[in-house]
Amino acid sequence: MPTAIIVDDESPMRDQLRGRLRDAWPELTIMAEAGNGIEAVALAGVHQPDIVFLDIRMPGQSGIEAARLLYSRCHIVFVTAYDQYAMQAFDQGAIDYLLKPVDVDRLRRTCERLRGRLNETPDDIERLLTRLAIGKDGKKPDYLRWVQASVGASLRMISTREILFFQSDDKYTRVQTEQTEVLIRKSLKELADELDPSEFWRIHRSTLVRVDAIIEVSRDERGRQLVQLRNHPERLEVSRNHSHLFQQM
Amino acid sequence: MNNQSKNKDMEGLREIGAAASVLWWRFFDWIALLSWPKMLLFWVGMLLVGGLLKLSGPLWAIIILTIPVMKVLAGGKRRAEVVAAKATMQANVESLERRLLEAQIAALQAQVEPHFLFNTLALIGQLIETDPPAAARIHKHLIEYLRSAVPQMRERGGSTLGRQIELSRAYLSIMQARMKERLSVDIELPSALSDLPFPAMMLQSVVENAIKHGLEPKTQGGHITVRAEIVDHLLHVDVIDNGAGFDSHADDGTGLANIRERLKVLYEGKALLVIEVPEDGGALVSIRVPIAVDDSADAGQNR
Repeated sequence: MPTAIIVDDESPMRDQLRGRLRDAWPELTIMAEAGNGIEAVALAGVHQPDIVFLDIRMPGQSGIEAARLLYSRCHIVFVTAYDQYAMQAFDQGAIDYLLKPVDVDRLRRTCERLRGRLNETPDDIERLLTRLAIGKDGKKPDYLRWVQASVGASLRMISTREILFFQSDDKYTRVQTEQTEVLIRKSLKELADELDPSEFWRIHRSTLVRVDAIIEVSRDERGRQLVQLRNHPERLEVSRNHSHLFQQM
Repeated sequence: MNNQSKNKDMEGLREIGAAASVLWWRFFDWIALLSWPKMLLFWVGMLLVGGLLKLSGPLWAIIILTIPVMKVLAGGKRRAEVVAAKATMQANVESLERRLLEAQIAALQAQVEPHFLFNTLALIGQLIETDPPAAARIHKHLIEYLRSAVPQMRERGGSTLGRQIELSRAYLSIMQARMKERLSVDIELPSALSDLPFPAMMLQSVVENAIKHGLEPKTQGGHITVRAEIVDHLLHVDVIDNGAGFDSHADDGTGLANIRERLKVLYEGKALLVIEVPEDGGALVSIRVPIAVDDSADAGQNR
């Protein structure tokens, strides 16, 4: 008797698939249901099913991640309501997938295919899954995007997009936005390492400034370069070491 | 050698010339800003001083006569400057208008997520078979949600806090039907606040973020509270969840940046978007806008 596990974070959708499978493939025994990827992997270890029906977007561990741990032991069928990126990839490869709400005819065809392959070893879909996993998360490197600061009794998150500049101030770092100013404990050195270098420039030993907030660089009577920022009265000094940043064309 | 000293002399002269020209223009500006009565006083004073010092001759007469002429000329320069300042201000207004337009476009682009729509339709399909009354309820919520969320269907002009909360309530009801016991919801809206003007799709975008990034990724789910209150003449609309919390390396995304930009344009810097980490984890996002008092009631209605 063939066996299967159903994995979906939404229980009504598990019920639906279970009901449809009863019609399409009466001999198939549903051994367990899981609500997320981690549970799915654990249950698959216990029950050793032939087939795992996997939702893609789930809490904890996504269907793609779970599939990477499971594909060598069982046949994977992805179930999704909408996932443009994944569906394109599935159409090219040998991966079975179903669209929610599950269409009975389509499910019958999928079951037919699975029946024929039950005794074969599952296809090696590792590369496809890796590509899918990268396609989903393979973004820019992880720069610091939020700065945490204590304001009164609360812990506030300040988006780096709001920040005009950072200035080291004794053992604290001053964080200036258009609307407010706070002190944080993170050092300028740490910040400089974690922030996106195309977003913030170091113009002085003690100053990191948001590049797209700069509206003007002028010289004072002593020949020092001063940076003027939008919506902020204070001018920031550019040290000699960093004056090359604003050389005239 | 000789050449060098000559160069130095030349440079010295040039510097003196530059200093003189700066002084001259300052004097010019000063005359321009002087009011006519004071100007007259200054002129009479000059005449008296001239008389006392027994200065006379054509040069003195020319100086005395030139001053009113200069005043007229300087006035012209001043007027030109005023015109220039006006033009700059107009340019600023234009840039503000452009930003407003951009923000509006961005708001229009904050569309219904296909993932949400397809999952909800799939759920309704399932419930039609198993629980028709529940299917009808969710179907109704979906229509309510789409009526406010689809750009083409959104009401023109300003929205109210009440309407915005209803939109989020419809959305959260749908999410509750999908996530079942993994999601609990609390909405606290004092009825006195529901008619206050409030921008469209801001609260909803925060609520969707809380679900998508806070609660959906968390295996055991969690709780979301939407509450409105007035604190120091600011209307606070808070969304609090006990979900996965903020990842300090995750991109701000267009959602929050968009809200910040829209607030800046709509309330000229008097509104705030505050994000905090509650003591027991998760996230608190607070939209704080000035409440329209009598003299600015018109502005409020224009929104």
